[in-house]
Amino acid sequence: MSLFYYTFIPIVIAFIAYFLNKKIKLSLAILNSVVFAYLFYQISRLYNQWNIPHETISYYMFDREIQLIFQLTPLSWLFIFMTTGAGLLIAIFTIKSQQEYVLRSSFHLNFAILIGSILGVVLAGDFLTLFIFWEIMTWSSFFLISSGKKKAAQKASYRYIILSTIGAYLMVTALFIIYNQIHTFGYNQVAAHLSGLPITESIILIIMLAIPFIIKAGVFPFHVWVNGAHSNAPKEFSPFLSGLMLKVGIYGVILLLYFVPLYNILKESVNYRGLPIFNYILAIFGGITVITGTILAIRQEDVKRLVAFSSISQMGYIIMALAISTPLGFTGGLLHLMNHMIFKTTIFLSIAAVIYRTKTTKMSEMGGLIFKMPVTFTAYLIAIIALAGIPPTNGFISKWVIYQALIDKGYIFLSVAAFFGSIGSFMYVFKPLSTIFLGQLKPEHENIKEVPFLMQLPMFVLMALILLFGILPGLQMNLINQISQLLNIQPVGFTLYSITGAFGKWNSLVIFSLFVGGFLLAFIIFISAKKSKQVGLMDTYTSGEYMDDPEAYHYAYQYFRPFDRVFDSFAARSLTVIYDTFAQNIVKLGNLFRKSIVTGNGQTYAFYMVLFIVILAFAGWII
Amino acid sequence: MILNIFGFLLMAFSAMALGLLFIGIARKVVARVQKRIGPPFYQAYLDVFKLFTKNSITHGFIFDFGAIMAFGGMITTLFFVPVGPFVLYGMNGTLLLVIYLMAVAYLGMAMATVGSGNPLASVGISRALTQMLGYELPFIVVLLTLIYSSNTSSIIGIVQTQQSGFMNWNLINIPIGTAVAFVTLLGLMGKKPFDAPIAPSEIASGPVVEHGGKYLAFIMLQHAVSVVVKTALFVDLFLGGGNNIFIFIVKMLIVWLLVTLIGSIFPRFKVEEGVLFYWRWPLIAALLQAVIIIF
Repeated sequence: MSLFYYTFIPIVIAFIAYFLNKKIKLSLAILNSVVFAYLFYQISRLYNQWNIPHETISYYMFDREIQLIFQLTPLSWLFIFMTTGAGLLIAIFTIKSQQEYVLRSSFHLNFAILIGSILGVVLAGDFLTLFIFWEIMTWSSFFLISSGKKKAAQKASYRYIILSTIGAYLMVTALFIIYNQIHTFGYNQVAAHLSGLPITESIILIIMLAIPFIIKAGVFPFHVWVNGAHSNAPKEFSPFLSGLMLKVGIYGVILLLYFVPLYNILKESVNYRGLPIFNYILAIFGGITVITGTILAIRQEDVKRLVAFSSISQMGYIIMALAISTPLGFTGGLLHLMNHMIFKTTIFLSIAAVIYRTKTTKMSEMGGLIFKMPVTFTAYLIAIIALAGIPPTNGFISKWVIYQALIDKGYIFLSVAAFFGSIGSFMYVFKPLSTIFLGQLKPEHENIKEVPFLMQLPMFVLMALILLFGILPGLQMNLINQISQLLNIQPVGFTLYSITGAFGKWNSLVIFSLFVGGFLLAFIIFISAKKSKQVGLMDTYTSGEYMDDPEAYHYAYQYFRPFDRVFDSFAARSLTVIYDTFAQNIVKLGNLFRKSIVTGNGQTYAFYMVLFIVILAFAGWII
Repeated sequence: MILNIFGFLLMAFSAMALGLLFIGIARKVVARVQKRIGPPFYQAYLDVFKLFTKNSITHGFIFDFGAIMAFGGMITTLFFVPVGPFVLYGMNGTLLLVIYLMAVAYLGMAMATVGSGNPLASVGISRALTQMLGYELPFIVVLLTLIYSSNTSSIIGIVQTQQSGFMNWNLINIPIGTAVAFVTLLGLMGKKPFDAPIAPSEIASGPVVEHGGKYLAFIMLQHAVSVVVKTALFVDLFLGGGNNIFIFIVKMLIVWLLVTLIGSIFPRFKVEEGVLFYWRWPLIAALLQAVIIIF
């Protein structure tokens, strides 16, 4: 199948199904699932066929030939594989979860277009193709975000689209400047041209090209759109937004730094401890992203906001690892990118399942759901173990590689940021676990059931993946080393069970078997002791008080208040406030301008007319 | 295979026995500091055996699963810390692994206690996690310095770099780091002044408020193994490990007694005070040490 069809099929099918959906309920969700499944199958067959030639599709617009170029590399294969995989799982999830959702048709329309456009971005062979699909992606995701919670989603999607537009303008300006000089958009030609320019000029152009990607990746100081968009988007779209949309930004960063490769130009500039200053600043921003994301995630009372901030913090890891540009850092970044997609999608899907049943996102309005929704709980539990980086899950492996890379280079600040984010993640992932799934069950949730099987299925698949890649990281390393070879990065040594770091390696099979041993021993001791009597959750030690209201007996609101007190002043001075103040000042300036000219007084306008005629007279046009 | 399983069981049970002995000794020492006679040193064994024979109540499957996870996770961690010359499953790259493996036990314990439905337990867990962010940060910076200076992240490797005599110990090589690590050890073990998570007078022993019978015995065993793991880790990293199991245990005992003695004379920090304390002097000192070593 031609590469072009991968982007074309979802977009066309989406429109067909949109009109079909008006007649037959749910046809769109099922059709989407089938199409994504087909694409997923086709893409998995493309593995190892890296010698497919470039494809060029040209058409004429205003008498000018415009070419769309597509190409397949191991790097783009990784992203198209992840995109269609996540899309497929989410499409299956939505079949059941969106039965009562009003904007269902437009959701699926936009979702399919989004998948098609992401495939286009990733398969693009030059900057023009990339930019066209990039814009389609921005707009379809904008519509998706804005179809969430009413008012808040509007505001969040505006923030998203404004930042994206700024990025797009910068990118298109840089591209036109370059096009004017060399009349081509090809990756290699652009790189060759940039390396011929004076160093400051080329660095400014590189930054202009990089900013849209950094905005999409949600890196400080452009992370302000992420939390609003993630928390207010439809519950089925949040997993995709966090699991994949952010990663497309990372794809752009990898593309620019290594594939194009502008890293070679940056190396010529000022270096700090052997690292180009641009990379160093990017890594520092990554570190700041980790810290801010963590601190703000701990404070949240809305579960989707909490997970959104955790996404911000995890993206910081990936950026940090990629920016320090050692082989180990690159490998760790890519590993974490894949693993983050897997476990964050799981977390958001399990949260979506909870929201589907309880119809709320406030953590303090839930509690004790573990006995009602055990599968959802297990999915959430395994995913947060991965997020916190605890073995034997995939999250541990990628974080371990990132730490090795950071310590190897001796970057103190970055390592402290990484560890802070990791230990802080224990805090923020435990908060939903404790307040939603554990603790006292609310009386109104007495009749809640587990979600339908079609919603459980994606969670099961993702749980299996978390454990699989936690025990056999070699499966992922195989592909990553092919990418490293493509990008001229020295591959990292690995076997099926272990990865060689800077200071040694470990064996995940031994870890796993010791886990089994430890748990078995504990289980045998537990079973051999006397059987215990089951009592209710209200039957606990209360210091002699009589408690009859489970709602009042659930510790959920402001779970980490002592910690939050420390950072109250920090959170109050958030970047969002600074941006808002900036926006208000612009409006004020505009008002000042408007008031001094558009006064609403007839005499002023008469004066303008006279002035106009006088000026014309002076110019000699009338007389 | 049989030998492996036998070694596994031997190691696990001897660690439990050693840990319970340490706990018994600590109770005696604290009693003497407070001018009491105190229980006999073998009291902890009696407690555990007695608790296993008692009737107990459970609050649902997560309460059971959490107890198993806490104990199993701690047992797993044990095998990655060399105790004296015994290294059952010699692996490189274990230092960072140990830190994260301990988290499995914490997570299990936290799930079980919060799963009991008692808000006092939740308060305790929230305090424990907050404090963890406090002490882990300087501790990790010290570990990072250690990895960088020893050029290996395997604990065995770090022990081997300090083999030839007292002057090679990391206690001498990175003195500030050792001091910081000792202060963090107090928090890691939940000793006063950092015992806000269990604060018996405020939140009724917090995490263990609902545990009785075999569940409490499980928590005690887990605590015993964790005492062994943490003191052994400190001895391995800073006090040169040990060629001989007896020397190693004596070193562990010295560390444990120091921790106990210091823990028995201080009043308790408030939660955020504890965190801020760690982020002030220990963190600054740890960073200073890192800068000295790396540059």
